[in-house]
Amino acid sequence: MKDFIKSYLIELCCSYTIISVAGAIINMIAGTETNNVNVIMMFIFCNIAVFVLSIHKFFEKLSPLAMIIIQYVVACVLCAIAVQIGTIFYGPVTPRAWFELFRSFSIPYAIGAALYYYRLWVDAKKQQDLLKEIQDLNEEKK
Amino acid sequence: MKINLFEDKKITDEHIDIYCSEVRPVIKQVMDTIKSERPSLPGRPADEDLDDGEEIFLDPGDIYYFDHVERKLFAYTENGVYRLMTTLSSVEEQLTPYGFVRISKSNLVNIYKIKQLKPDINMKVYVSFDNGERICINRSYKKSFTEYLQKMRRMS
Repeated sequence: MKDFIKSYLIELCCSYTIISVAGAIINMIAGTETNNVNVIMMFIFCNIAVFVLSIHKFFEKLSPLAMIIIQYVVACVLCAIAVQIGTIFYGPVTPRAWFELFRSFSIPYAIGAALYYYRLWVDAKKQQDLLKEIQDLNEEKK
Repeated sequence: MKINLFEDKKITDEHIDIYCSEVRPVIKQVMDTIKSERPSLPGRPADEDLDDGEEIFLDPGDIYYFDHVERKLFAYTENGVYRLMTTLSSVEEQLTPYGFVRISKSNLVNIYKIKQLKPDINMKVYVSFDNGERICINRSYKKSFTEYLQKMRRMS
C-alpha cells in the first residue's frame, strides 16, 4: 500500500506539472486566461486519470484493448461526477462545456491508446528479432 | 526393468551396458537421455490412466510448452501431450538454462520452438509454435520474457 501511494503521488505530481505547464504555454500563445475553478478541476481530473490508470493490475485477465475501454469509461464517469459536484459550488454547466470536457479528455486518451499499441508492436518486433537471432545461433551450434 | 548399479572408485573407464530383447521406445529414450546433456523429464501420455502405460523420458528439446491446469502439469510435444508428476516451478528451475521461460502463471515455453511473436487486434501478444498452437504472453511476464531473451542472446 505504501508503494502504491508513493508511486501514485509521484505520477500525480509529474502529470499535473506537465498539464499545468502545457496549459500555461497554450494560454500564453492563445492570449487566453484560466481561472481558479479550472485549475482545481484540472487537479481533480489529474487525480482521476492517475487513479484509473494505476488500477490496471486488476484487469490483468482482460485484453489490453478491453482494459483501455473500461478505464476510459470509468474515467469519464468519475470526471462527470466531479463536474456534477462542482456545479453545486460554481453553478450549472452548459451542454457545450460537457462536450468540450469530454473532447479534451478523449483526444489525449485516444492518442495515448494508439501510442500504447504502437509500442506493443515495436516491442513484439524487437522480441521476434532477438528470438530469431537466438534460434539461428543455436542452429549454427548444431 | 531391472537396473544394476555398480559403484567402484577404481573404475577409470565408466560405461553403461543395456541388455534387452529388442530396442523398444523406452530403451531408445534411456539411450537418448544418457547421451543428452539436457535433463530429461519422466512423463506418461495424458490420455492414459496414470497407473497404466509406460513412463517415458521426455527430452526438453522436443517440448513446445508446459501447461499447468487444475494442479496438473502437462507437456506438449509434436507427438502428443504428456502428464508430468512434478510442479511447474520445479520444471522452470530445471529448464531455465535450456531455453524455457515463463510467459504466464501457468505456461512455460521453449523459445527454440517459437515460430512467431505477434500482437493481436485486442493488444495481447501471442506466441505461435511450429505446430500451429498459440499462447498469450501475460502482461506481467512481458518484461521478464524480454530480459530472458536478452540473457540468452548474450549467452549464445
